[in-house]
Amino acid sequence: MNSSGNWTSRFAVRGVFWREYLDWAAINLPFYTYPVLHFFMTLFFFFFAAPARRILLAHLAIILPGSSGALNYLRVFRIFHNYAWTISEAAIQKLNKEEFAYEIIGGKWLDQLGAAPGAIVLTAHMGNYDLGAALFAEKFNRAIRVVRAPEPDRQTEQHLSASLEKSGEGAIKVDYNTAGALLSFDLLNALRRGEIVSIQGDRTEGDLVATPAQLFGRNVRLPDGPFVLAQVAQVPLYPLFIARSGYRSYQIVVREPITVLRSGRDRELDLAPAVANWCRVLEQMIAERWDQWFAFAPGFLADEQKS
Amino acid sequence: MNRNHKGAFYFPLFRLLAMLRGGNAIRSESNAVEAWLVGLMSYLIHYLFFAALLLPGNITVWRGALLLVALAFWIWLFWLLLLYFNSLIIRLLHLCGFFRAIPNRRLQSALWGILTTAMAWILLDGSPALREVGAIWLVAAAMNLAAAMILIFSNGARVAGK
Repeated sequence: MNSSGNWTSRFAVRGVFWREYLDWAAINLPFYTYPVLHFFMTLFFFFFAAPARRILLAHLAIILPGSSGALNYLRVFRIFHNYAWTISEAAIQKLNKEEFAYEIIGGKWLDQLGAAPGAIVLTAHMGNYDLGAALFAEKFNRAIRVVRAPEPDRQTEQHLSASLEKSGEGAIKVDYNTAGALLSFDLLNALRRGEIVSIQGDRTEGDLVATPAQLFGRNVRLPDGPFVLAQVAQVPLYPLFIARSGYRSYQIVVREPITVLRSGRDRELDLAPAVANWCRVLEQMIAERWDQWFAFAPGFLADEQKS
Repeated sequence: MNRNHKGAFYFPLFRLLAMLRGGNAIRSESNAVEAWLVGLMSYLIHYLFFAALLLPGNITVWRGALLLVALAFWIWLFWLLLLYFNSLIIRLLHLCGFFRAIPNRRLQSALWGILTTAMAWILLDGSPALREVGAIWLVAAAMNLAAAMILIFSNGARVAGK
C-alpha cells in the first residue's frame, strides 16, 4: 500500500486526487456536463489505466467465450464508462442528497434480510455497492458493517471510508479486509449482536485465507471469511447486488439466501455446497451484467488455471 | 435517496410545459434526456465556436481533420478549466455575501449558460450552418428565460429535495 507521504501517488490511477476531484465535481458541476465529461474521462483512463484494461480484457475473454478481441476493447470502454457514472452518482448521493430511482428484484428476500437478527450480505465489486449500503441503512433504519478489500493507496482508503460512513449518516461502519483474526472476532460479535455485515465475496487479495471454487469453468480462490462467519454465527448469507439500470436509476438484486451447514464433520465439506451456491449466483450475475463487474485488481479470474 | 422524480425536469421551458399539461413543475436533475440533450448541445456550441475561431481557412483536408479531432479534446480541457474558473468566481461571490443559499452547481449552470449564449451569439456571424446552430441555442435560451419568468409568477419554481 502506498503511504500518504508519497506526493506523486496522489495522482496515480487509484490515487486520492481523483476521488477528491469527484467530490468537487459533485458539488460544482451542472448535471448536464456529466455525459460529455464522463466520455472524455473514460477515454483518459482507458489509455492510462492499462493494467486494469488488460485485466478486464482477460476477464471478458473468459466470461464471453469466443468474443472478438477487438469488440472486447469496446466492452472494456463500456465497463470504464459505467464505472465513471457509478462512482460519480455515489458522490452525488453522498454530497448533494439527490434523488435516485430504484427497483427491487427479490423483494421478499430483501424484507427478510431487513428483519433478520444478524445476517451477512454477500456482494461483489459490481454496480454501486457503496450506494447500496447507504440505501439499505436508510430503507431499514439499521446499522451495517461494510467489509471492503483494501485500497492500494492509504489516502484513498481513508477517503472512501469517510465517504461511505458519511453517506450512511452514522449507520455504516467500514472495515478493511486484511489478514489477521481481530476483524473476524469483531464481525462475529457484531453478527451475534444482530447486526448486518456486508462482505465482497468475488475476490481475495494478499494473504487472506481463501477457498477453492469454480467460476466460468476456472479454478478460482474466493474469500472463505463470509462462509466461515456464517457457519460459526449460524446466520444466512444473502447474495445482493446493486446494478445501475440507467441515468440515476438502479436495480437492487437480491437472491435466495444461502445457508452454511454445521454438521461437526470436516469444515471444508460443510462450506463446499454454500461456496458452490454462491459461485452459481455470482457467475449468473457476472454473465448478465459483465459491463458492471468492476474487478480491476489483478489475481483473480484470468490468473487461475482452467479446470 | 428513495425519492423518485423521474420524468421531472430541470430547465424552465420543460417544467412549464409539464405544468401546462397538468404535471409537476418541480425542479429535478434526474432527467436523462435533458442531461444528454443540453450537454451535447453546449458541447457543440463550444466546439463550433473554437473551430470557427482557431481553424485557418487555407488548410489541407488532412490537417484540418487532425485539428478538428484535437479540438474535441481541447474542448474537454477547456471545460475543466472553465468549471474551475467559474468555481473561483462563485467563491468570490460567496465571500462578498452573494448567492450563499444557492447550490454551487446551479450558479455554475447560470455562468455556463451566459458563456454558451455569448458563444452562440458570436456564431451568428459565421457560415449559414453555424448561424443556424447559434440561433437554435439563442431561441432555446430566450424561451427558457420567458418560461422561468412565467414559473416565478405562477409560483411553480419549486426545487426538488431542497
